[in-house]
Amino acid sequence: MSWSGILQRPKAEEARAAAPDDRELIARVSSGDLQAFERLYRLYQPRLTRFLTTLLKRPQLIEEVLDDTMMVVWQTAGNFRGSSKPSTWVFAIAYRKAIKARARWPDPVEEPDFDHRVSEEPLPDEELHQERLRGALLKAMDQLSPDHRAVVDLTYFHGLGYREIAEIVGCPVDTVKTRMFHARKRLKQAMSGSLVDWL
Amino acid sequence: MSEPNLSERPPHDEAEELLPWYATGQLDEADRARVDAHLSTCASCRKQLSLERQLIDEFQAMSPEIESGWARLQSRLNAPVAAVQYSPTPPRPTRPNPFAEMWAILSRPAVAGLAIAQLAFVVAAGTILLSLSRPSYQTLGSAPAPTSANMIVMFRADATIEDVRRSLDAAGASIVDGPSLADAYLLHVAPQRRATALAKLQSDDNVQLAQPIDGARS
Ligand SMILES: [Zn+2]
Repeated sequence: MSWSGILQRPKAEEARAAAPDDRELIARVSSGDLQAFERLYRLYQPRLTRFLTTLLKRPQLIEEVLDDTMMVVWQTAGNFRGSSKPSTWVFAIAYRKAIKARARWPDPVEEPDFDHRVSEEPLPDEELHQERLRGALLKAMDQLSPDHRAVVDLTYFHGLGYREIAEIVGCPVDTVKTRMFHARKRLKQAMSGSLVDWL
Repeated sequence: MSEPNLSERPPHDEAEELLPWYATGQLDEADRARVDAHLSTCASCRKQLSLERQLIDEFQAMSPEIESGWARLQSRLNAPVAAVQYSPTPPRPTRPNPFAEMWAILSRPAVAGLAIAQLAFVVAAGTILLSLSRPSYQTLGSAPAPTSANMIVMFRADATIEDVRRSLDAAGASIVDGPSLADAYLLHVAPQRRATALAKLQSDDNVQLAQPIDGARS
């Protein structure tokens, strides 16, 4: 395989092929490489924002915890021993930061009312059903504890295994399984409820 | 033959717990083999697995960060628009036209979905608005067409055009505007026939709601 062939690949693909993995980035961050840190930030910002949004209700707090998390990554990258995945390490920092932030700033009392999201415009049945289903799921999520929400989001959205989740939220694997079991029951109730509304 | 280990959990419970990670492909070899074996014998778990896949799709498609950001922005959109200058020229001072306003309300799609009791409230509120603004209304002189309306009527959803025509003929009313999306009509009735027309319409089986809207008391 010729190197020139690799260099001539389209940019996006080249970037992906040449992208150092998180492990390498963290190693470079530990030696104070600001460029590597920026790449790590760009890699994690969307995922962490999503994760923190399921844990915290105040938008300012989400931003603050995100920044705090990345500051800890910047300052303690040298402590990362590599026994777990880099993403597990970063998410665990974010989780601990979020728990602390929530203790300082409890969630606002008024619950966001997802029912208002259902639009008044006439929608085709299929779309209407989809919108109701999503609204019902968001509402069900909202009624779960933040600990349950974290496990659900890490499983269904971030696609993590129960061992990684246990490491992130700092609890035994059996607790992850039972939290997930309880949360699924609620989510499935919400799903079938929205189906009944529709019929 | 070895006795089944009683300290172990039933295979169904164990498999059921692992289904989310089976569905996302996050189980190790041993776990996956156990769930596979159980799935081949348990219809309930197979059904649950399809629900798991649906949940994964929903969570992948869902963006709570967008929802919360949109809710935040929307609350700003709903704030009073007084501060926002849309047109470079100052708006012409317009005489309030409660008829037009009420008609505009009744023509909104959202109103079409209201229950009859809620509509009655909208109409009643409009009537009060009209009676309050009556002096300025009287000075309007050459009034636009809708202002000749003095009654609002809503027919039952299953009333035919023929029914509507018969009811209006019987009351001696003519249509000024309508039907709105909420199936409301604005009517004109000769002032001297007002009370009888209203009574006729209100007792008509095809009529859901009939109400004077010119603020005058009968
Ligand atoms: Zn089973």
